Amino acid sequence: MTKPTRVGVRRRTLIAALSATLLLAATPVYAQEVSGDLVLLNWATGNEAEMIHALEEAFVKAYPKVNFKEINLTTSGDQRGAIRAALQSGETADLFVNTWPAFRKELADAGLLRDLGPLWESAKIGDSLSDSWRDLGSTDGVVYGVTYTYGDRSAMFYRHSTMEKAGITTQPTTWEEFVANFKKLNDAGITPIAIGAKVWSHGEWFESMYEHLNGVKMSSDLAAHKIPWTDASVKNTLKKFAEMLNANCCGTPASMLAMDWNDAADAVWKSGTHGYQMIGMWNNDYARSVHKLTEGTDYSIQQFPAMGAGHDNVSSVDSKEFSGFTNGSNQAAADAFLAWITTADAANVIASHGLASPSNKVDASLYGPVMKKAAEAVAASEVQFVLGDLLPGDLVDEFRVQLQKFIQDPSDANIDAVTAAIEAKAKTFD
Amino acid sequence: MSQVALPSRGSDEGNASRVKGGGHELTPFRRWIADAPAAYLLLLPVLVLFAFAVVYPLIQTILLSFWDIKGLGKPKFYGLGNFAALAQDANFRQAVSTTLLWTVFTTAISVSLGWIIALLCSLAPRATLVPRVMIFAAFGVSEAVTGYIWLGIFRGNATGAINALLTGVGLGDFAHPWLGDANTAIWCLIIAYSWAQTGLPLIIIYAATQAVPRSVIEAAYVDGGSPLAIMRYIIAPLSMPGVRVALFINLLGSLRAFDTIYVLTGGGPVRSTETIGFFMFRESFTQFKLGYGAAATLVLLAAVLIVSIPAIIQRTASVK
Repeated sequence: MTKPTRVGVRRRTLIAALSATLLLAATPVYAQEVSGDLVLLNWATGNEAEMIHALEEAFVKAYPKVNFKEINLTTSGDQRGAIRAALQSGETADLFVNTWPAFRKELADAGLLRDLGPLWESAKIGDSLSDSWRDLGSTDGVVYGVTYTYGDRSAMFYRHSTMEKAGITTQPTTWEEFVANFKKLNDAGITPIAIGAKVWSHGEWFESMYEHLNGVKMSSDLAAHKIPWTDASVKNTLKKFAEMLNANCCGTPASMLAMDWNDAADAVWKSGTHGYQMIGMWNNDYARSVHKLTEGTDYSIQQFPAMGAGHDNVSSVDSKEFSGFTNGSNQAAADAFLAWITTADAANVIASHGLASPSNKVDASLYGPVMKKAAEAVAASEVQFVLGDLLPGDLVDEFRVQLQKFIQDPSDANIDAVTAAIEAKAKTFD
Repeated sequence: MSQVALPSRGSDEGNASRVKGGGHELTPFRRWIADAPAAYLLLLPVLVLFAFAVVYPLIQTILLSFWDIKGLGKPKFYGLGNFAALAQDANFRQAVSTTLLWTVFTTAISVSLGWIIALLCSLAPRATLVPRVMIFAAFGVSEAVTGYIWLGIFRGNATGAINALLTGVGLGDFAHPWLGDANTAIWCLIIAYSWAQTGLPLIIIYAATQAVPRSVIEAAYVDGGSPLAIMRYIIAPLSMPGVRVALFINLLGSLRAFDTIYVLTGGGPVRSTETIGFFMFRESFTQFKLGYGAAATLVLLAAVLIVSIPAIIQRTASVK
């Protein structure tokens, strides 16, 4: 064996150093050693908070040098107020849970959100999440959010026993069948639909009807105010809604306006006074954990019925995403988490908590029958983000209040007045 | 009973003792100078607290009202634009009229009830101790809790106490979603809030009735006055100072009320129960239009001042 010369040693050291540098440069940031405090601004509660804690634990197992910290916002109602207040008072965090596309834009415009496009490429997030999820997490073409869960907002929940009581053995798939069932339910002393119109959940019905009658493109255009609220498409949708109200779908206007979203859920799950509700997939966990019902056995879901206008392959969805704040101090750890959240480990934690993961790495056998049905329906549809969360705060407020006025008086004349009022407010945002 | 006359801080006797020690006479101005530091030193903690808790936020609110702030966007100077927008805002005008209705009725009901109960209690102070305490206890319950108690009472379905009662006595046809009907929701709120606010007028006015000299009541009794006449012509008029204080306090409380409305109706249905206080909350904290909300706050503050300044002047004048 020949003794290496000084020049040879230097050359080898140089090559080794260069190789290490190249290797380090080629390795995505998420796979590098990350450490330190990783701060999450969190407002989730209940089962969702437990799921986030489970995600944190699983992440720390994979990245033991990271110490997860949470800034918890305790609030009721619309959490955006508390989040804004926290940010304006100087709170800093690396990660943030968001569910409102309109709020994402507000944060992005204020320069508070990081562009996750480079991370999406380097960490190959696209291998786990399809382009539609990338689009859903983008604002003005820039990716700001990595979706970790979603909900099927076109899912109508019902209890088997309630339907049996009304003699309904098969669930309606068309609008006509759906409306025809109202009589059966009413005759059995059951109000067909629980619409909690006290604050927001009456909007869900308008939104699903609008998408089914006019399609995803027009729904997006309406949300972006490329279509006026006085458009015939809006008025025709409200007329369809009026058809449902006039068929005695939901009790008196006052009873709807007195009902909050949780009352609507209880009216279906607990008292059984109402047949259907359509207020989001949180209901799945609510039925199981609060009302001790067995998924698939005691209750199920039915997708919003086909309206025959050529746009029935559509599902309304909501989603939750993790975003990165620009004011965070540990962006490397934040990137590692954002990449990790789409892996099989993370997706299975989410699925085991009764929530749907958009990752194609998820083990679908972890889903219960209802969640499985919802996931399949969403996967097979064109998806449209729930309209209420696309509209800026002030406009969504007016939209909901005007829909309350519509519920009080679903006449054609009032439809004109209601749509004119929403349009007047929408113009203030142009 | 002999009374001991104590020298007041600014009195000649009080200063005379110091003059004796000092060996020379102080002019009134020098006397004031000598007293002032001690007075201000004693006032200082309160003044500092007042500056932090009241003056600073008030100045900030006034400044905010001149800015157009929407969410986390960059604020723009807006001058009096927010106030002009408020004047044009149909929702704000509705909130003003709702506030007037709400304030007049909650104050009138709570003070009237408190007054009547206080007068009745004054006739039998010992026997009415327990009911007095119970009614006053409602005042100690937080407004939010009050809201939840009444939510159970007014609930629109069969589990609501009123509807269950109506159904129980065979009047099920009168069961109603009380909080979902714009015609009944505001009155439900007024009943709920008045119930909680009756305790304070009761205690204040009851205390006023106890200050009525027994000799006057006894004289009226000897002259053949019935309990009702004594209550009407002697105790009621002499309890008026207490009624005025209670009226003032409850009026201010009603103007600022928020929690009960938030819990029971959330300002609905269709904004029919939205007061200025609730409007301010919605604009400031839900919409995060801080400048606009600040302008609404100042309008509410003006209303509070309009009510309170004459009352404070009147109270101060009566002290003099």
